[in-house]
Amino acid sequence: MDGDRVAAVPEPTAAPTFHRAVIALSGHPNGTRLIQLVAEAGKPHKAELVGVHVVEVDWSMPLDADLSGRSEEIQQVLDLAETTAEHVGIKLEPVLLQARDVGAALVDEAVEREADLLVVGLAYRTKFGGDFAIGRTIPYVLKNAPCAVWVVREPIQEENA
Amino acid sequence: MIGGRRPLQGRKPADRRVRVERPHSPYFRYTGRNQLVAKAAANQPRTAVGRWWAGVRKVAIGRPLASEEEAGERLSKKKALAIFSSDAISSSAYATQEIIRVLATAGVAALVWSVPVSIAIAVLLAVVSTSYRQVCRAYPSGGGAYAVAKENLSQMAGLVAAAALLIDYVMTVAVSTASAIGQIVSVVPELDPVKIEIAVVVIFLMTVANLRGLRESGNIFAIPTYAFVFLALLMVAIGLFHIATGQAHPIDTPNADVLTGGELSIFLLLKAFAGGSVALTGVEAIANGVPAFQKPEAKNAANTMTAMAVLLAVLFIGITIISRAYQILPTVGDIPTTVSLVAATSFGKDTVLFVLFQASTALILFLAANTSFNAFPRLGAILAVDGFMPRQFAYRGDRLAYSWGIVLLAAVAAFLIWLFKGNVTALIPLYSVGVFVCFTLSQIGMVRHWRKVRDAGWAWRAVLNGFGAALTAVVLVVVVSVKFVDGAYLVVILIPVLVAMMLFIRRQYDASRRELAVRMDLVFTNPRREERVVIPIPGVNRAVIQAVNVSRSISDDVRAVFITEDPEDAEGLRDRWETQLPGVPLVVVESPYRALTGPLEAYLDVLDAAWPPDKPSPITFVVLPEYVARRWWERILYNQSVKRLRSALLGRPHTVVVNVPYRREDPSLFERTPVGEAGPLPPDNGPPPAEPPAAAGPPAA
Repeated sequence: MDGDRVAAVPEPTAAPTFHRAVIALSGHPNGTRLIQLVAEAGKPHKAELVGVHVVEVDWSMPLDADLSGRSEEIQQVLDLAETTAEHVGIKLEPVLLQARDVGAALVDEAVEREADLLVVGLAYRTKFGGDFAIGRTIPYVLKNAPCAVWVVREPIQEENA
Repeated sequence: MIGGRRPLQGRKPADRRVRVERPHSPYFRYTGRNQLVAKAAANQPRTAVGRWWAGVRKVAIGRPLASEEEAGERLSKKKALAIFSSDAISSSAYATQEIIRVLATAGVAALVWSVPVSIAIAVLLAVVSTSYRQVCRAYPSGGGAYAVAKENLSQMAGLVAAAALLIDYVMTVAVSTASAIGQIVSVVPELDPVKIEIAVVVIFLMTVANLRGLRESGNIFAIPTYAFVFLALLMVAIGLFHIATGQAHPIDTPNADVLTGGELSIFLLLKAFAGGSVALTGVEAIANGVPAFQKPEAKNAANTMTAMAVLLAVLFIGITIISRAYQILPTVGDIPTTVSLVAATSFGKDTVLFVLFQASTALILFLAANTSFNAFPRLGAILAVDGFMPRQFAYRGDRLAYSWGIVLLAAVAAFLIWLFKGNVTALIPLYSVGVFVCFTLSQIGMVRHWRKVRDAGWAWRAVLNGFGAALTAVVLVVVVSVKFVDGAYLVVILIPVLVAMMLFIRRQYDASRRELAVRMDLVFTNPRREERVVIPIPGVNRAVIQAVNVSRSISDDVRAVFITEDPEDAEGLRDRWETQLPGVPLVVVESPYRALTGPLEAYLDVLDAAWPPDKPSPITFVVLPEYVARRWWERILYNQSVKRLRSALLGRPHTVVVNVPYRREDPSLFERTPVGEAGPLPPDNGPPPAEPPAAAGPPAA
């Protein structure tokens, strides 16, 4: 029995495989590293990547409000993600969403696309002595996503370590 | 650029989300604020003919490449030797032939001088290559003769070098291709009658390969070059062994050319020297390509230069010694070639090694020709950027190749081969002149360079380059004088012509730049000049209505002009015009001489003359209604008057010609607009006629 249990555990160094990954794009500079990581992990299996940027719409505005005032910055986030994946040699489909809640939109998109991986980044906040602000999106995704979830933490800068 | 929105249901009722369409996404990519990069899809043609042509090009030259896909390979010395030396080393395949062709005119006994002449040329090669080692060190970014002469001497010297280089590159293609075909015909004499056709086909194939973006890299160059070097060294070794062991005896040269009229003299020896000096062509290639070497670039390039010179000298002298020992004579039309006869004596006729050697000789000569397909367009692009050649030469095609330069080079080289019937000896006199002009200017430029920089060892470096310059200048004079009547005069004429042409182009660009220049200290606000619109019309039709609507958006001062030879026609039109287009005055110009453009221009002159002299002249927009043809042949039927008017008005001061195209595919505007009191459509309001009914009729439709 013990032997069977050991055999079922994957090799600790082997990257888990996936076929379709939804990547949350927040616009944080760490995003490029995140995409590179997922793209390189998915390339050997010809995985499909979907980069999702969610614009959170306040309840005071209609959900389909034209938030084009920020559009160029948003488009740039998605286009940069597409370019980064292309440089690795894998295609990424950029998707722009407007939703009331970022976490719910990410999970719903992953469900609709039958993704087997959802990737979110966790940025390091240098203010107030440095901290990882986990916020409410990551806990929501961890609790509700039906697929595997990767939380990719930004490396702590040396001077803050 | 946010487009439509598509609502999507979430797993919970409150979790709705909206997917926002991104219309720019297939065509562009944002890289900054108001900054877009076009994707391949933005480059796709939109018409059926355009798509068909793009398909043909894709099959012929491959898919378009983005600028970032350009390969930036650094070359090792071994690879660089193969890539940059094919032109120089391949010269050994025909240099000996040029010496013995001259000496044989003074009888077989004169051939004894072929070896001393080849040794003299090898000494010249040593001097030139040592001088060019200095160029490698001084110009790690690439020291072409044009760059060196322009920077250190003058713009004119640079242009002379550039003109000589352009001729040199064209001649490299012509001579190398002709010689390569000569090697093939030496093995398969049945191909002799079609050798020009074969040469043209080969140049065409090289053109296509280079338009596809063939790079001077990898094994494509290394294998044939090293195969030739190995087999040629083996051939020389066997030949020398035969001579040393007394096995070399004079042979009967097949197809020998009986040459007479010469007399052994200093002039004849100089002429033989000038003929053989073609061996030096291509020596400068390494100095031009220093940036392509691995680090330390300059040192590696200089060492590769020495290795190339040694190889070339060994092969050249070796082939000449063997040809002398076997008393090989020149042949009619250079078939079989001297080097093939030398190979036959060493390897044996019709042996595998002989055929392999001939194949590798042909291949290295093709590769030598191909080096010009990289160098000529690159020089053309540099000259275009400097304003000395049309700007098209600096544009890179779908495959990152300078397409204009490639096509021009191929066309001129193929023409020369056809003109000189593929005869290498006939082409050679045009070849050497340009090469030695470049050598001389480059070396003189280097002397000036060392005097300017004065770094460690500058004095001896300057002396070395000065000696090289003096020697190559003497050779240049010799080459020009002894080959002048054989064809060198063409180059002597062509270089000044090319320089004059380049100066003329530069002057034109300078003039247009001055005319278009904008002062840095000026700030441009909204123009204060008044605007008015004149619409020449052929009647009332949808194209005209659309033109009037566009005109109303330009200015309030809009008037239509109807030029006709029939006053009754005009009256009928006026009634209808005032009913259907109120507020837009119609001016009828009767034209009893049935002219169209003349009366319109005269009317515009009158309008200008009537403008108050104390006010600045207004901008006159001449709006031309145009009917867009669906098919190519329909273009013959429509808009001929529009074309005439447009060309007549193009140079008119204070006048802007605006074309307003009407497309049959979009009649929605007219379907929604009520006809008004007029009831049903009048009989002449159908599709616009091809040309106005009257011969003098106005434009559009």
